[in-house]
Amino acid sequence: MDLSLDSQQEALVAATADWCRDNMPLEQARNRPDTLWSALQAMGWTAMTGPDVALDHATEALVFVELGRHLAPVSLMSGAVAARWTDQPGKVALALFGNAGVRVCDAEGATIALGICDGVIATFRLPPGLVASPALDPTTTLARLAQPSVRTPVDSPLPALHLQLLTAAFAAGCADAARDMASSYAALREQFERPIGWFQAIKHMCADMAVRCAVARAQISFAACALDADAPDAAFHVAAARQVAEQAAMENARANIQVHGGIGMTDEASPHLCLKRAHLLSFIAPARRSVLLGDPA
Amino acid sequence: MDIRFSAEEQKFREECREWLLANVPSERRPLNAADAIAFDKEWQHRLFDAGWAGINWPTAYGGRGLSLVQQVIWLEEYAGAHAPWIGANFVGINHGGPTLILNATEEHKAYHLPRILKGEAIWCQGFSEPGAGSDLAAIRTHARIEGDELIVNGTKIWTSFAHVADWQELVVRTEAGSRRHQGLSWVICDMHAPGIEVRPIRKMSGQVEFAQVFYDDVRIPLANVVGGLGNGWKVAMSTLSFERGTGFIAEQVKLSQEIEELVASARASGAIRDDRIAGELAQMRAEVAALRAMTYRNISDVIRRGQPGPEASVIRLFSAELGQRLERMALLLAGDDILDFRYGDDTLVGEYLRGFAATIAGGTAQIQRDIIAERVLGLPKSR
Repeated sequence: MDLSLDSQQEALVAATADWCRDNMPLEQARNRPDTLWSALQAMGWTAMTGPDVALDHATEALVFVELGRHLAPVSLMSGAVAARWTDQPGKVALALFGNAGVRVCDAEGATIALGICDGVIATFRLPPGLVASPALDPTTTLARLAQPSVRTPVDSPLPALHLQLLTAAFAAGCADAARDMASSYAALREQFERPIGWFQAIKHMCADMAVRCAVARAQISFAACALDADAPDAAFHVAAARQVAEQAAMENARANIQVHGGIGMTDEASPHLCLKRAHLLSFIAPARRSVLLGDPA
Repeated sequence: MDIRFSAEEQKFREECREWLLANVPSERRPLNAADAIAFDKEWQHRLFDAGWAGINWPTAYGGRGLSLVQQVIWLEEYAGAHAPWIGANFVGINHGGPTLILNATEEHKAYHLPRILKGEAIWCQGFSEPGAGSDLAAIRTHARIEGDELIVNGTKIWTSFAHVADWQELVVRTEAGSRRHQGLSWVICDMHAPGIEVRPIRKMSGQVEFAQVFYDDVRIPLANVVGGLGNGWKVAMSTLSFERGTGFIAEQVKLSQEIEELVASARASGAIRDDRIAGELAQMRAEVAALRAMTYRNISDVIRRGQPGPEASVIRLFSAELGQRLERMALLLAGDDILDFRYGDDTLVGEYLRGFAATIAGGTAQIQRDIIAERVLGLPKSR
């Protein structure tokens, strides 16, 4: 039993954080350069789970927390699932199956989309000439289409758990970003002649943000290890990770805006980026209540 | 990273399970204080005889000296088997004993440690005062030195098991005029000494588990000062470094048993069809799992780095508030049956009423949040 990061994992996490800070800063999440995807590909972020690297889930999840902390493109998740479970090289868009049709995130430059349909991962070919529009989360675009007539499901429950785990990791990263933004602002911003982080009303909000992050992170590692170990209760642990991570992302994003006060409500400042990301993530591979409650399958 | 236990560890788990299955008493810990103490002492002695006492104590002092992972396994199995809470032995085993191990003379260790492990000597803690709760450094109970004795005057409060204790770990101001953390000493106090008066305090649940203690010219040998005069704060804090993150395991296992019972009871009664109840149960079941993950993470960090980090405050706060939410859910599911509660009943209402202690005793939730904000996030100190 060991849930600590080993030195290789620590180095990989640090390298990921460094690269993201230099090449994909959160503050510029609205205006990401067109070259970002090729840069991500060149660095190998899109092939970590492919047959050549085949990173274990535990390490992969740690890397995805860092990517998520910088609000990396959500199609990194669909790409990672495709790389591990299908033979789809290149960019794979993320599909959100709804009642009325399908929303596809990050369709630019992709020919295939991947999402969860009826509880399992399915891919389908994107029609040519798709029109993508801006979305609530400004880091992505949405294209809407009717339910695709031809879908290729992957015959295993594991890929859906993989996407759920990665979504949890992105959410935990988003929660981390909000916590760090709030606590550095609280240490800096002065009112009543002292940093607002001196006041317990503010510092306790920040402490709660830190608790939610720690809860999410620990359960994500546990769930990733459960997947790696092929544990019989892996589906529950992944769902639990997804659940606590979504809550962390959403509540931290809201608290971060409150800690920032007036500036937090503006378009110019960054807090709303975490909030909007949290809402987008809440629709990706959500935890099923029956699984969380341990219903007999 | 790996959540699996080795074959050797699995074997150890089976040994623990077998012994507990054969030895855990079938009767519950009595509620009546006097019966409860006798029960606690006898159970502790049985643990000692079977070699399960002081699982994290060095073998030189009669402990078991188990590895951290073995401690985890023992504590999981102990709680999983519904073995009794160690009750009145709690302070000696978890606090007084470890402090002696780290700071006391060989003579004190040789005398006190075996008695604690065998359940022969009950300890209590004398830290909090009416004017020193969250602000513990505001301690005013003082001792003047006369020859080779300390003469103690003052009062301590919220002292669990004071009415049955033989010894107390007492922190007093031994330097007149000293302030805050300076000038305090950690002293072994004989609770049977003349001049000590214990006034039990009844909890809102009806139980009498703690007390206020008054000291009127109580004489304590100067030799009973542990770790040197004026070093009391350091000695008291040193105990924290003895705690290696295993302190949350029993609570975690208890919460996972409780959430399963709550889900089963909500299914049986049909309450689970209420969307809000089902949603909250699902959320809490996920959080109880996360509490185990955090506990494992914390212990893994100790194994790797040798020291627990400030994350312990995070686990403590999370665990305490999660436990209270479970108790409230149990109450909600019980409906108006809770109105039949009578003082001293050991029902879920009693659990609920006693459960308020979780976010007050040993550092309130608010103090924990201060610690997290200041030590984990680096926000300015407000005190």
